[in-house]
Amino acid sequence: MNAFQAILKEKTMTDSTDTASKGSAIGRRTLKDLSVGETARITDFLKENDAIKKIEAMGLRRGKKITIMQKLGRGIVVKSSNSRIVITSDVAKHIEVK
Amino acid sequence: MNKSIKVALAGNPNVGKTTLLNHAAKTNLKVGNWAGVTVEKKEGFVNYRGYDIHFIDLPGIYTLEPISEDEWIAYNFIAEEKPDVIVNVIETTNAERDLLLTTELLEFERPMIIALNMSDEAAKLGIDVDIEHTSELLDVPVIRTNGRNGNGVEQMLDKIVESAQNPRYPRAPKYHEQIETLLDRIAADGEGGFGTAREKPNKRALLKILQESDGRYEEKAKLEKSLKKGIDGIIKEERYAFARGLFDETFKKKKSTGRDITDRIDKYALHPIFGFFIFLFVIFLLFKISFDFSTPLMNWTESFINDFLSPLALSALSHVGAGKWLPQFFSQAIVGGVGFVLTFVPLIGMIYFLLALLEMSGYMPRIAFVMDRFMHKLGLHGKGMIPLLLGFGCNVPAVMATRTLENKRDKYLVMAMIPFMSCPARLVVFSFFAVLFFVHPAVVIFGLYLLGILIGLLTAFVLRKTAYRGKLSHFVMELPPYRIPRIRTVFQITWVQVKSFLYRAGTVIFAASVVIWVLLNTPPNLKNQSDSAAAYVGKAITPVLAPIGIKDWRISTSLIPAFLAREIVLSSMGTIYSVDIQHKTTEFHFLPALEGQMKGLAEATKASCMSLLTPELQTLQTDSGQQSLQTVIRSSFTTASALSFMIFLLLYTSCLATVAVMVREGGKKFGLLFLAYSFVIAWGVAFVVYQVGSLI
Repeated sequence: MNAFQAILKEKTMTDSTDTASKGSAIGRRTLKDLSVGETARITDFLKENDAIKKIEAMGLRRGKKITIMQKLGRGIVVKSSNSRIVITSDVAKHIEVK
Repeated sequence: MNKSIKVALAGNPNVGKTTLLNHAAKTNLKVGNWAGVTVEKKEGFVNYRGYDIHFIDLPGIYTLEPISEDEWIAYNFIAEEKPDVIVNVIETTNAERDLLLTTELLEFERPMIIALNMSDEAAKLGIDVDIEHTSELLDVPVIRTNGRNGNGVEQMLDKIVESAQNPRYPRAPKYHEQIETLLDRIAADGEGGFGTAREKPNKRALLKILQESDGRYEEKAKLEKSLKKGIDGIIKEERYAFARGLFDETFKKKKSTGRDITDRIDKYALHPIFGFFIFLFVIFLLFKISFDFSTPLMNWTESFINDFLSPLALSALSHVGAGKWLPQFFSQAIVGGVGFVLTFVPLIGMIYFLLALLEMSGYMPRIAFVMDRFMHKLGLHGKGMIPLLLGFGCNVPAVMATRTLENKRDKYLVMAMIPFMSCPARLVVFSFFAVLFFVHPAVVIFGLYLLGILIGLLTAFVLRKTAYRGKLSHFVMELPPYRIPRIRTVFQITWVQVKSFLYRAGTVIFAASVVIWVLLNTPPNLKNQSDSAAAYVGKAITPVLAPIGIKDWRISTSLIPAFLAREIVLSSMGTIYSVDIQHKTTEFHFLPALEGQMKGLAEATKASCMSLLTPELQTLQTDSGQQSLQTVIRSSFTTASALSFMIFLLLYTSCLATVAVMVREGGKKFGLLFLAYSFVIAWGVAFVVYQVGSLI
């Protein structure tokens, strides 16, 4: 196992044990709750993990306007500016929208 | 000696860095791996205005806060290797996102050039960039490029040379006032050995010290407390803010006129019902075109080698008065072995061409999305579909592609499935045997592909119930816009693959044929081939293979070198069986023969093109009138043993390159265990098929 893989492994391990979210999602609207064709604005991320960090780097940031293009099973296609990103519902539930 | 310039190409995924590199370096491209990891490393060399420019194409990444392997590679390269110039390629239509990476790159304070790529797409969408203003703000040359036609590439090279002659260091981004004050203090303190270093530390290095300094700076704690955030989060937000500000300042979007083509295609391609059928249709087309288009050309290649090249060379040999063994060696080892495998070049070329087309069109990730619904039910990741599809091209890059799966468990599951996805090397063997023994060869081949997929799924199912339990991980993936691939680039990629096949034919396959031929003729002057050393070796392993119907030493001997690469089984058989072919010694006339071949090629090309117009899959047909290898090989198989032989070859990982890459990616234990497992499975299934088949 090389250094990269060791770090990767460590990251995924901390990821799976970190189940505590910043706040309860009850009463808030998340990206998961939006239906196809709906447009909303990202207001907050309810959790800080690698998946969320990646999504932010990919352009889904606080204040960005997003549109749900398609939903299929656990997959959700989100369009923001000119990029389209697939995220699964277990990540989408940590993205608060308005 | 020219001066050399080391240039790093950095950018987000799918921004067209590689296409720009193709334009700049043309044929001087080198594809390899980064040291120690199996991530592809592309390099290009250009000689321009007296400079040797060495391009290194970094993996496509979104951020330099490294998490994944790709990000680590890019980060380490920029931080440690210190390229002379960084070319930051930006997809103009997605600049707001891309500018985060730009911000992070600026922190390194290396000479930089910003290439706003896909300028044509941006113009279509009404996006306008003030490049002079951007250049002024960042103190970085900014140019427009277009990967489709290569516009702007020359200007990029000019800027690179200028930068080497007269390095221009960019202005590092300015962050929150309190952070800046802290960074100034760190620089003054000379923390981390900078005090003695001659080089002034760059902003990135200072930020890193700040992030890692626990409790050393009071102000840091104060700042964290007042913003209710950790320092990492604060810096991240600052970077986003800078990127956002830069974007608002320099990018203007007019009302766009054209409707987005990608959205319109996606309406169907990602549709819950249509999407699935579109996927099936695309796969059907992939197979139909590769089989039907290449069959006439393969027949032609075969006749070109056997009826033209071979008699031409033989008549030349007899003219110069070569002895007895040289023509024999030539027709058995070279024509029989290497030539036999070369006949399949059109098929291999076509498959690679279509896979490259599919990959570059942007459709691949859509398959992952559409199929996730089913894959998910099987406990697999939708993203795993991509490596599996690539496996139909070649298992080796497919295993490498599993690194896009963030979770280790998903990665191992997919890796254990890939070798069961049939590659063109296996197809070469199938198409030969299926045509020889079955009325509907296409059905048999399709069945074999399905069998491979089924065994792959079963393997994953068993692993998921035993070794790799646990919850299925989430996924995040970008869907790039659809793009019409640049045909020249597709041809370039196809050629690289075909070249590597030809290279194998000229090296490993040739060597295996020679070894087999020598063993066949050891000891010399044998009356009977079955007393040769080759026969001795084959007979020794026959007991293991007899239960699956392989009782002839000529086949078992061929299987041994096939571990290097599967198609060698054919070249070896070609060499061994060529001995039994009675060569007619007819006069060979060069010009009429050449004319005949040219006519044949024209007809074959016409037949290939016509085949695209028929809707159904035609069966693979070879000229039935041909005697030769087909007839002699046919005599040592039954239909049942031919089928069991193909199944054995399908399932057993008899490919050194795949085993090697699996060991590298998954560890020695994983690779070797899998090798043993695939042998047992292959033997078991072949055994059942042969025993049942023999009863019918």
